[in-house]
Amino acid sequence: MPCYVDQINPEVGVSVVRVLRKLGVEVIYPESQTCCGQPAFNSGFFDEARAVGRHFLDVFEGERFDYIVCPSGSCTTMVSHYYPFIFKDLPEERERSEALAERVREFSDFLINVMGVRALGARLEGRAVFHCGCHQRRELGVLEEPGGLLANVEGLVLVDWENEELCCGFGGTFAVKMPDVSTAMADEKIKALEKSGADTLISGDSSCLMHLEGRLRRTGHDTRVLHLAQVLDANDGKAG
Amino acid sequence: METEKPARKRETEDYRREGLSSGVEGFNDRARRAVADEQLHDSIELFTHKSVAGRNAVLGALPEAPELRERAYRIKQETMANLDRYLEQMADAVEARGGNVFFAGDGEDVVRYIGDLARRKGAKVITKSKSMATEEIELNRRLEEDYTGLEIVETDLGEWIAQLAGDTPSHIVGPILHMNRKRITEVLSQTAGEELPPDVEALGSFARRRLREKFLTAEIGITGANFGVAETGTVATVTNEGNARLVTSVPPVHVVVMGIEKLIPRFTDLSVFVRLLARSGTGQKITVYTNFIMGPRAAGELDGAEEFHLILMDNGRSKLLGTEFEEALYCIRCGACLNVCPVYRQTGGHAYGSTYSGPIGAVITPLLKGHEEAKDLPHASSLCGACWEACPVGIPLHELLLKLRNQQVEEGLAERAQEIAFKGFESTMKRPILYNITTKAGRLAQKPLLRDGSVRPLPGPLSAWTDSRDLPPLAEKPFRELWKEGI
Amino acid sequence: MPGRAEFLKSIRHRTQAGRYKPTNAPDVAWTREGESRESEPIEDPPARFIEELEALGGHGKRVGDREEVREYVLALARDRGAKLLLRWDVDELEELAVDAPLGENGVEVAVWRDLADFREIAGKADIGLSTAEWAIAETGTLVLEGGPGKGRTVTLLPPTYLAVVPVDRILRTVPEAIDKYAGGGAEELPANVCFHTGPSRSGDIEMSLFVGMHGPGDVHVVLVG
Repeated sequence: MPCYVDQINPEVGVSVVRVLRKLGVEVIYPESQTCCGQPAFNSGFFDEARAVGRHFLDVFEGERFDYIVCPSGSCTTMVSHYYPFIFKDLPEERERSEALAERVREFSDFLINVMGVRALGARLEGRAVFHCGCHQRRELGVLEEPGGLLANVEGLVLVDWENEELCCGFGGTFAVKMPDVSTAMADEKIKALEKSGADTLISGDSSCLMHLEGRLRRTGHDTRVLHLAQVLDANDGKAG
Repeated sequence: METEKPARKRETEDYRREGLSSGVEGFNDRARRAVADEQLHDSIELFTHKSVAGRNAVLGALPEAPELRERAYRIKQETMANLDRYLEQMADAVEARGGNVFFAGDGEDVVRYIGDLARRKGAKVITKSKSMATEEIELNRRLEEDYTGLEIVETDLGEWIAQLAGDTPSHIVGPILHMNRKRITEVLSQTAGEELPPDVEALGSFARRRLREKFLTAEIGITGANFGVAETGTVATVTNEGNARLVTSVPPVHVVVMGIEKLIPRFTDLSVFVRLLARSGTGQKITVYTNFIMGPRAAGELDGAEEFHLILMDNGRSKLLGTEFEEALYCIRCGACLNVCPVYRQTGGHAYGSTYSGPIGAVITPLLKGHEEAKDLPHASSLCGACWEACPVGIPLHELLLKLRNQQVEEGLAERAQEIAFKGFESTMKRPILYNITTKAGRLAQKPLLRDGSVRPLPGPLSAWTDSRDLPPLAEKPFRELWKEGI
Repeated sequence: MPGRAEFLKSIRHRTQAGRYKPTNAPDVAWTREGESRESEPIEDPPARFIEELEALGGHGKRVGDREEVREYVLALARDRGAKLLLRWDVDELEELAVDAPLGENGVEVAVWRDLADFREIAGKADIGLSTAEWAIAETGTLVLEGGPGKGRTVTLLPPTYLAVVPVDRILRTVPEAIDKYAGGGAEELPANVCFHTGPSRSGDIEMSLFVGMHGPGDVHVVLVG
């Protein structure tokens, strides 16, 4: 569970668990997990990232499981792509991280490609756009999956929006290091959102959503902002 | 800026804001101004949109495109691994054809060589086609300062207009994308000595006439090189206007300033790069003029240079060889990364404060000029990876940016505040108990800061976020607590 | 200023062979969606050449014999109100025998031979006429070689430019054209080879197209055979 989901958007985690259990998956949540370490990594503090990474490896290697499912493209990428990167010169950790990397899957990727499921019986009224996080798009290549899942949500109309491949501007510490550019990037996405006529913004990354929602609210928009898991968990028109 | 708070709470905030105070002042100030400039934004959007749409169409239609990218990377990798050998081969080939070769360690060497050559020739006018390498070493300014009586004329329309305006290019391919028609008309009218109408036909025609005079009277022509072929001593230049071909065909002396990384081993390797460069940079299958010069004119030719000088310039490139940053040398200067970069889109090229802007600029400037001069640039990115995706050679620019950030940390250049913040981050995240205590404390501490369900805009470390965006609070109960209670 | 040996030595000890593998870059806009297909073979190179050239604003025409070529040249000169035509000094254009008919129509013909100051004449000419070594169908490109009699500025300075190319000199692709010059020794190459594709242009002023920036904006290619 990404640290910011744990601390700021726990309802996303709850939806994830409910959806997985609905499919008969046994869910284990190792309570000593904390964070994947990406914030340190992104700012160039590789040693600190390695320390946090080691903790992650320790925590998860101690469990018996088939897969680690993560409702965040960026955290998934950190573990599956960048752990081997930062442990490149440390053979033992590198091997451990490579072994773990094979079993870490982003949430929508897991549902479609591992469970083979597209329809979850979810129902939610609305006209929505989907924002694919940059890591999910470029490092993981999980592009089609969210659309495939959302297409089967009754009552939900998924529409295209301009510049959908553009970064939302969060970028972790970038959002506070370069606030003007970061905000301008959010505004660019919001412009496209307005043009599309959507009333709902969905994404697989809560970090992107936190940034975009922050700007939406500040600029007086009442767009509904939901994580993909919450939409899939929705019944009777109410999000999870 | 840091108010007095108990250590635990500060750690929470540190964790949340991940080390705030910005050491990227230079870029930020320029970016702030750029972001507010709506006209600039419209120009950039138009240019990049067209370029990217063209690029996607023309690359998508080329079935062998992914393979070409792979081959381009391998060719560049092979070249850098044997650069000394290929440089020697190139020099020998050029000399065998009667050309002159000069090895320049840095910009100063280049300026001296060209200046002295101009003196020997009694040259007054030098025409120049677009060359990022010469921009990098500020060749024009230094020549005009140190060798009086020498006039250097840029001949690429955009570069010429920028030169007249005392401005610098802001994009590798579209140098004056930041200038609007009104400004261009002003600049050209001043040069013409009369009011020119603000339409493209009139302005372009004037430029053609005026530059034609220069083309025909210049004693020396200077070009850069898009590629240098070691096997045959060939220099390739690529334009749409035809100015490089004119610069190399009319004056009796032709000087090439080429960064050593522009080399490729064999003539046949050109077929990979010629197919990629235009497609990637402008969305054309090939540029109007793709010109290959093998040295001075052959016996019996009436035009073409009689004297050919190839300057192979290092200027910081060789120290990247064999390092984890070597891939930055594989760049063919197509500009695609600028066109897809969401940061460049908002700020334009000048915000980067250096010859090279956009993702490649953020990488190569600190590498060539040192971290001190370009401390902000590796941070001028959200690491979205669009540059890596667009690069026709497959350079992982986003990874190079991360490595540069790491290099800054290792060399002690990161800010104190950030160092402290991330040490705190490490301690907290390694120990679940500490994590739990810290976040619990944060929950309590935030209560007075909340208003209407979000953190109030306050001066201080969080303001970079809260000035323009609402900030959500820590949830009442974190997920781990809900899990324990049963979901 | 380092000498050559020093310069190369300082590089030699830094290079290391093949240390890095590329990080596999993502595929969006790099791979065709759906079925991957072979490069479509170009069935009719002359037709494709003309199609490509005209898409760029150039003019292309296929004719059967020299008489038709002469007609084209004369018509063009008339249309453009040309007074002076400058041509390459090559056998094909000698044999074309278009000098006399042009002269009769009030067009002076200068040949690229023994010119005191080529700049003057090339700068004054209204039309430049040359042949081409090769043509490339996939892009509408002319492959021009420099050499005695083959002035580079003939194809560059006059505002109108016409190239006459036999149909059997048309290659299909850019790699094919590049390979015509590859593999041999450097000494065998001409001093200059130019791939020239369509009218000269610039988009530097607010991205608006201006044709005929420094080179000819009015480009014609006549394919013979």
